[in-house]
Amino acid sequence: MDQNVIKVGDFVIVQRQGYTKLHKLKAHGTLSLGSFTVELDNIVGEKYGATFQMKNFPGNRKLFTLEKVDEMPGITSINIEKSGLDNRNITDDGQSQNLTTEDISKLKSEELNSNSIVEKLINNSKTFNSKTEYSQEKYIKKKEKKYFEYVQIRRPTIRLLATMFYRQDPSKTLGIRIDDLSQILTYSNIQSQGTHLLYDSGTSGLLPAALLHQLGGGSPAHLIHLHPGNECQKSALVAMNFPPEQLNRCINVNLYSVLRCYYQQKETFDDPPASKKMKIEEGAVPKKPNWQMENERACQLLNKGVDSLIIASKEHPNALVSQLAQFLTGGRNLIVFNQSREPLQDLYLHLKEKLDFIHIKIVTNFMRNYQVLANRTHPEVNMTTGGYILTAFKLK
Amino acid sequence: MSFDDYKAVIDEGDTVILYLTISQIYSIRAEAKTLSKKGVEVENVFQTPYGALKCADLIGKPYGSKITLSKGWGYVMQPTPELWTQTLPHRTQIIYTPDISMIILQLEIAPGSIVVESGTGSGSLSHALIRAVKPTGHLYTFDFHKNRVELVREEFAQHGLSDYVTVSQRDVCSSGFGDELENKADSVFLDLPHPWQAIPHTLNVIKETGGRICSFSPCIEQVQKSCEVLSKLGFQEIQTMEVLQTSYSVQTRKLPVLDLDFLKSEKDGTETKGKEREVVKCVTAVPPASMPGHTGYLTFASLPPVWARSLQISLNQAQEDNSPDL
Ligand SMILES: C[S@@+](CC[C@H](N)C(=O)[O-])C[C@H]1O[C@@H](n2cnc3c(N)ncnc32)[C@H](O)[C@@H]1O
Repeated sequence: MDQNVIKVGDFVIVQRQGYTKLHKLKAHGTLSLGSFTVELDNIVGEKYGATFQMKNFPGNRKLFTLEKVDEMPGITSINIEKSGLDNRNITDDGQSQNLTTEDISKLKSEELNSNSIVEKLINNSKTFNSKTEYSQEKYIKKKEKKYFEYVQIRRPTIRLLATMFYRQDPSKTLGIRIDDLSQILTYSNIQSQGTHLLYDSGTSGLLPAALLHQLGGGSPAHLIHLHPGNECQKSALVAMNFPPEQLNRCINVNLYSVLRCYYQQKETFDDPPASKKMKIEEGAVPKKPNWQMENERACQLLNKGVDSLIIASKEHPNALVSQLAQFLTGGRNLIVFNQSREPLQDLYLHLKEKLDFIHIKIVTNFMRNYQVLANRTHPEVNMTTGGYILTAFKLK
Repeated sequence: MSFDDYKAVIDEGDTVILYLTISQIYSIRAEAKTLSKKGVEVENVFQTPYGALKCADLIGKPYGSKITLSKGWGYVMQPTPELWTQTLPHRTQIIYTPDISMIILQLEIAPGSIVVESGTGSGSLSHALIRAVKPTGHLYTFDFHKNRVELVREEFAQHGLSDYVTVSQRDVCSSGFGDELENKADSVFLDLPHPWQAIPHTLNVIKETGGRICSFSPCIEQVQKSCEVLSKLGFQEIQTMEVLQTSYSVQTRKLPVLDLDFLKSEKDGTETKGKEREVVKCVTAVPPASMPGHTGYLTFASLPPVWARSLQISLNQAQEDNSPDL
């Protein structure tokens, strides 16, 4: 099957300018994109990365279809007749645009064409010609963005998902920003080997997805994903369209139920797994519920020790670390993320007392983006704050 | 051979990280003999502030265990790319973990990825790239400096990583990355003084299904030139950022409390005598007194798949002008 072809059942990211939306593609489905409703039938069978134009549906103002574009009509650059030298004569009184909101929405429904809409906006602006060249350019960019009629269909990646979730609402990922995520992955020394243990109390599946991505396809590595609820959050995990073989190596189990299983059936996990298999094949034991099988699978692995322990929790980390650190093999790393510093300070002092961890660090990042344009390069006007990461090395 | 897979015990020839304190971390080799500066074979002894360590004694010790020195003790750790970055011999400026982490995530590298890198420099980034691509992917790394190429190749061999990396001596600005790599790479990383001269060559190596590129530059002028070239060549999502990390040490501080109430009553000579000074315990996280304020700018971009390359839509948010009106 060609990975590059868009299929029904795929999770796709629909991108319109800087705006992105995750969507599960169903047959004859629609998607709402800002104020537009878009029919997606036409993207099925096309390739990822392709660009589509939103075309108005005859007889329905709100509904759009997508038409694949192979060539740009060459966005005709809008002719700027006159520019002002500076903005001394410009006052913003909200009266500079002659077109009313109704006029504009009529334009939109006639034909969504950012170029022609922007041109009309300019022709009806009283102040456009006295704006400076820079401001005119900015005005055009801003308006073009608003009426932009092209969308791109992309295959979800960890980068796109992390950026999108954080932009939508940082609490979706417990405040894990892309730089936090990137460092959790390196400090945990995760790779295509070993068993890794994660407790995640709600990152919309971003952390398990990112870790599983790092374990790779067709590898022997496992991720045990502990979660506090009945069902774990899975958005990013399913969005990544992992092959079943890989997805199957992420064992999602409830924290309480797996620990109960571990403590109360401990002896059985030392059994060579072969004898167990035999029994099942013979049909001697009644089939266990799936969650119980997953618990036992997790416990077998926990019993051998894990190669990293990663915790991103809403709960206080000390109790979690006290319980889960027993599974971490000596000589491996503990990584704990928190949106605030104080819980990690508590953990830092707790670990210092316990004496079985060294190299304990708390870090945070300053991250900012830049606008890079000829003569107008500067840090972006807005920035965000990330969280805190504690890392520690467990002794033998 | 200690960089591939998780190990339990130190074998002869392993590179081992010796941890004394949070700021005293060294890399040593578990070997009985080593070459002196003069090229003579001598006993491999590592001098620490807490006494000498015979490196041969490490063989057979479990990773994560404590070792005794004549005037103290230390711990032995299996090396990770992060610990290697902290302890490697510098032959050039190197890239550090906060930037490395962002590079790997943004370039969407995972096992199986084919990654092209130049220059190799001291191999700080390379080690993390190799960990991310192995065992099914590969790193092709280029440097035009003969000595650096030879040394880093030797290190990869010592670290047991040779199967996952190919080091070549080449000037990538003038000669590109070679025909063998045509349309092979998922992503390209550049840390060069003139990245904009190498960027056009990356069009040949990135897969037809598209890929990601990153250029790391300390100076903003380099960034401007690179961005200009990237955008001319049809790269999308061009984004420039910086990441600076602060690390805190947690301390409990005792702050004395001043009692000034006694001033309200007349002096009788007993005010200060025999009174315990009250203190409040305060847990604080203390940033270092000085830290890096700049490492470099990271510029990322995507090359669309061939079927989408001719479309010149700027989907790039970062390109948008958000300056205050001039
Ligand atoms: C700053 S170092 C790279 C450090 C590396 N990223 C690390 O983390 O260790 C830059 C390297 O680029 C190499 N270099 C400079 N120009 C080059 C060119 N045109 N072709 C290949 N290598 C080049 C230099 O020899 C130097 O080793």
